[in-house]
Amino acid sequence: MTDIFENLKDGDTIEGPSFAVSRESIRLFCDASLDYNPLHLDDDYMKGSFGKTSFGGIIMHGMNNFGLISRMLTDWAFPAGGIHRRLETRWLKPVRPGDTIRPTAIIKAKQTTARSRWVLLDVMVSNQNGEKVAAGEAMVEFPVAKAA
Amino acid sequence: MAQEAKFETDFWKDANLRKVWDEIVPGEPRKTIPYTLTREAIELYCKAVGETNPLYLDEAAAKAGPFGGLIAPPSIHILLMFACTPTDDWMRSPGTINAGQSWSYNVPARPGDVIRLEARALDKFIKRGRLFVVHDNVFFNQKNDVICSGRGQTIRPM
Repeated sequence: MTDIFENLKDGDTIEGPSFAVSRESIRLFCDASLDYNPLHLDDDYMKGSFGKTSFGGIIMHGMNNFGLISRMLTDWAFPAGGIHRRLETRWLKPVRPGDTIRPTAIIKAKQTTARSRWVLLDVMVSNQNGEKVAAGEAMVEFPVAKAA
Repeated sequence: MAQEAKFETDFWKDANLRKVWDEIVPGEPRKTIPYTLTREAIELYCKAVGETNPLYLDEAAAKAGPFGGLIAPPSIHILLMFACTPTDDWMRSPGTINAGQSWSYNVPARPGDVIRLEARALDKFIKRGRLFVVHDNVFFNQKNDVICSGRGQTIRPM
């Protein structure tokens, strides 16, 4: 049986499907996450300023980026015998209705520990203009028992 | 069931009862509500982020898979965070901005799990005129297994 972990290389890229952001997709995310913050619902509210930030209209939930990255990682890891163990993200730019975003990941290192094996990845989400809207890091575990 | 009968979707309601940044005490446990995760809630979440993995959606395929039954996607904590906090919790304050998060995953959540959240603010600070709170959250299942643990920062409304 091919050991997938052994064949992974630094620089290998994983791509997730693109995601079209709309008022409807944001509203659906409200219902699915129970996060009804007016940031995602109320254009009039979003015309105001938030301390030093002004958005001008509703924005997508930052955690929608997180969900897309997580989906890409699990869809890649599960068939390979890997388990998505960690994801850290920060938001770089707001995402608005009409944007199309897409997650990607790049393997940056592999690490063997006393009991297991790990792949470390840089992750990001980009919009249709090639701008990074979210970035972060992830860890996927490839348990030794799975390789036997 | 300890679950709230109906989720209040108007985050302005009782907004004046929620703690502002000044009143948030780092280290103090937040009041939380046990939540029973349903297959329907998992399916709705999957639809919202485009998840199609049969491990979350197809009972027969999931049963034959590595987890022996349906599981929720790891990122289901996005839903659990709001499902397990009451309406007067400051997570719901309109204008709360998520400034980034990190989550570690242990065992998967499954449909039928009764999920408990232990949560607190761990720290708060002011940076470049913005009011930050550091969050510390751990979700457990009914067997007291850790499902996932997360750390995050929000910028509080002024």
